[in-house]
Amino acid sequence: MSIEAAASSLVVGVLLGGIFSLTALGLSLVLGVMRLVNLAHGEFLVLGAYAGYYLLTVTGIDPLLGLPLIAAAMGLVAAPLYRFLIQPLMGRGVEAPMMTMFGLSIVLQNLYTAAFSADTRSIETGYSALALNLGPVTVGLVYVMGFAISIGIVGLIHLLVSRTAFGRDLRASAQDAGAAAIVGVNVPRVQMLTFALGAACAGAGGTLSGLVNSFTPASGAAYLLNSFAVVVLGGLGSVLGTLLAGITVGILQSLGGVLFGDGYRDLVALLVFLAVLIVRPQGFMAGRG
Amino acid sequence: MARQLKARSAGFAALILALALLGVAPAVLREYDTQILLRMLLALVLAESWNLLAGYGGLVSLGTSSAVGLGGYVLVGLLNHSILPLPVVILAAALSGAVLAALASPGLLRLRGLYFTVGTLALAEALRLVMINVNQFGGATGLFLNRDPPALGALVWIAVGLLLVTLLVMEFCAHSGVSLLLRAVRDDQDVAAQMGVRPFRVKLAAFAAASALMAAAGGLQALKLGAIEPYGMFGLRWSIDTLAMVVIGGLGTRAGPVIGVVLVMLSGELLADYPEAHLALTGLLMMLAMRFAPRGVAGLLAVLPARWRARTTGA
Amino acid sequence: MAPMIDGGDQGLFLDRPALPSHALIDSLRSNNSGGLKMRRALVTIGLLVSLLLAAAGRAEEIVIGASLPLSGQLASFGAFQRWGYEHAVAEVNHAGGIAIGGKFLPVRLEIRDDKSDANISAGNVENLISRDHAAALLGSCTPALVSAGALVAERHRLPMVTGCDPRRAFTSAHPWKYVWDVFFDEAELAAAPFKALADAHVTTNRKVAILHDNGPDGQVVGGELWPELARTYGLTVVVSTSFPVDNTQFTSIIADAKAKGAEIMLVDAITPQAVAIRKQIATAGYHPRVLVIEKGAEPAQFGGGLGALADGVMVGGYWDSSFPYPGARDLLMAYERETHQRGSQHIADSYAATKVLLAALATAGSVGGEAINATIAKTNATFVVGPVRFDAQHFAPLPIVEVQWQQGRTVVVWPAKAATGKLLFPIP
Repeated sequence: MSIEAAASSLVVGVLLGGIFSLTALGLSLVLGVMRLVNLAHGEFLVLGAYAGYYLLTVTGIDPLLGLPLIAAAMGLVAAPLYRFLIQPLMGRGVEAPMMTMFGLSIVLQNLYTAAFSADTRSIETGYSALALNLGPVTVGLVYVMGFAISIGIVGLIHLLVSRTAFGRDLRASAQDAGAAAIVGVNVPRVQMLTFALGAACAGAGGTLSGLVNSFTPASGAAYLLNSFAVVVLGGLGSVLGTLLAGITVGILQSLGGVLFGDGYRDLVALLVFLAVLIVRPQGFMAGRG
Repeated sequence: MARQLKARSAGFAALILALALLGVAPAVLREYDTQILLRMLLALVLAESWNLLAGYGGLVSLGTSSAVGLGGYVLVGLLNHSILPLPVVILAAALSGAVLAALASPGLLRLRGLYFTVGTLALAEALRLVMINVNQFGGATGLFLNRDPPALGALVWIAVGLLLVTLLVMEFCAHSGVSLLLRAVRDDQDVAAQMGVRPFRVKLAAFAAASALMAAAGGLQALKLGAIEPYGMFGLRWSIDTLAMVVIGGLGTRAGPVIGVVLVMLSGELLADYPEAHLALTGLLMMLAMRFAPRGVAGLLAVLPARWRARTTGA
Repeated sequence: MAPMIDGGDQGLFLDRPALPSHALIDSLRSNNSGGLKMRRALVTIGLLVSLLLAAAGRAEEIVIGASLPLSGQLASFGAFQRWGYEHAVAEVNHAGGIAIGGKFLPVRLEIRDDKSDANISAGNVENLISRDHAAALLGSCTPALVSAGALVAERHRLPMVTGCDPRRAFTSAHPWKYVWDVFFDEAELAAAPFKALADAHVTTNRKVAILHDNGPDGQVVGGELWPELARTYGLTVVVSTSFPVDNTQFTSIIADAKAKGAEIMLVDAITPQAVAIRKQIATAGYHPRVLVIEKGAEPAQFGGGLGALADGVMVGGYWDSSFPYPGARDLLMAYERETHQRGSQHIADSYAATKVLLAALATAGSVGGEAINATIAKTNATFVVGPVRFDAQHFAPLPIVEVQWQQGRTVVVWPAKAATGKLLFPIP
């Protein structure tokens, strides 16, 4: 393959990778703070995609403009979910919440099929097919916009986690929930808010994914594994780690596409994930952020 | 002790009788119901194996589909390209499942808890993607069995045989010294290691046994279909359905798999025209089980008599 | 003694003894017979209940069953097929039904959604036969789904007539005895764009990029036939790759085609992927002068989803309402009148397949599988898709034309005698 083609592919990989970081961030935060394996994370992403799709087709509001709305809505839906489904199970070990989220993912996936049908969809806006020339490389405008917005949101979350009081409480709960409770942190509330934040990130990431890719009610599993790959690579709970890992996964996927064909993109990411999982499950950036 | 032995023999005889009844049932049942029976038998094999792995062994796996798919493809491949008789081919399919487990264990069995679960999911998906992309194994087209599959009645007998083997394996693992080893490793691997147990070997044995049974079931499924392709044989549905059935029925209990399979399949028939509603209901039952009945329906049934007694004696 | 299975909030698994105790071992041992008895009872109960689930009695009607992709990635095909099947059955019922044993019986069409999944397709056909007592069947769409259902029909020795399954994919799946297919031959489909371009005397840089899905027909057309034909016509294949049927990202292959400067791009994909590929070609800033997208570019959803981007895209077609066959024009008009939507060639092969089946039923005068099957074999008449006559492999070929999207409509551009418009070159 020529240098130009490879370069184009890799640039697209970086841009997609930015979106991966946003989609994985929710998973990472929840896993880091609450040791909760959110197996319904993929379905949250897909819900964000459907939200963006219907927002556009029903009200005509551009999904990028409607992102804050979608994120807020996801957070509002997720908070009571956590309060009533998962909070009662915290402290009973890791399996019960994980299974509950798994059950939730089954329910959600079938809800989507019943409500939205199993048809393949993608969010088509006026600028969906526009190309941007960056020197020798040409990429779709939506990729660049998705990347920029994702990086922006990840940056905001990083500030939230490192500079605000809530962020401090979040980090304290992640490090040692017991100790945090003793010093006055309302740990259950922090956990609920973190879950809602994670869902909001997932929703926003899902909308952006829906702009650059097509999706079906069953797309959740692939998104979930992709996000897991990013989380495991970047370290639990580390915002900057997730960002770098996301971009890395994007590049690796494109490398797979360049070397073996586009059908192997997901496989390459999965194999890297398995390798990292086996060698060093806590990620390469554990202990930071 | 003698009384217990008699009870065990009586129980065993009852089991053989029940299985024999199932085997001859196709003669009197409508075709449609025989189809359901076959599906139930295969689901039961998967559920019991998964229960062994996750309930008794503590290895919550989302990789059922890798064993099922592999067994299916091995069966079709061998029947198409060799003159081996069917029983040998089924055995080979089972063996392939065990080999898969053995190959994956050095990596997977080092992982604990949620990492293991996610690792099995990743492995299952990776295997599916390989089968879809690599054309040597049929790619997305899949494989066609080049002979007519056995009649439905014969398939039911084979399934009954497989179920018998599965139940025997479960008996052995759940009610012998092996069960203590499994339990020790599941509950606290490090302490068990201190006491002389070799966790890796115990886990590998459970993993291999369960995978072999699942692969055999996958082979039977392929035999029934006559044509297989990767989306169906390696699809996540196997992992999801099996897990849901066992969790609803009662993870780690003896009766759990049966109760779960019967409940889920019956509700599936009642909601036959609304498959999404059925699956959503299954997910909902799972969530309810986690919240209110962690031992599943089996657990509820076992506790009810005690609770009733407690209530009626004014406790 | 402690209860065998503890309920309540003690976690997911059984007790955690620090050391195995004798009480525990005893309790393990005596759990046995209770579990077995319960198991046996449950299975028997389960069986009885399922037996009691009533089946509808045999009504005085002829049941024809069909599993179709009404949702999922093939939904665009399924919708048209459903209309074709239903329209044909409605016509027959309107005329009084079919005479079986001296009595005119209505035909009931039972359609199930297989969600574009081959396994569900097989399951549906099983149910249609054993639960709904279908006397004969109509097929799904795309080789994988058609084969899955057809194998079931074959095993039950019930006749099935289908469209939407090209010759090689159909005949290589199984030596059919009870399944009949009315569709086109991949070889003709693959050659059509080459012939169309040659006849239009267009000049290009003779570089071709091939991109095909790895389903049964994608492999045949894109993997074997197109490279061969390119050689025959003196074109150079600079890129040739396959992708999984449900792939969503095509940036690498498109970047490669662009870098190698291919002016002709040949794609074989289903509609969602076709739309994605066309978009990603645009976002890559790649402008091939010829773009052929087989399979997925024909349904109206392709043009609807892409708007102006669809213009210039070529696709092989096996039917157009302008064809000189009985009822062609009327069929399309009926479709557009009833649904207020743009039609597709898929209404024609499905309509014709149903007509073939119903005609055989009427001629045979019986709902016996063998009788119907023997009569289908003798089919030799002209239907809305053209002359239908099955060869030794149960296949009836349809003629191929080349169609192109122009200003939101599909126009036949080749061969000259069937053309309703001129080839647009290069694509805008």
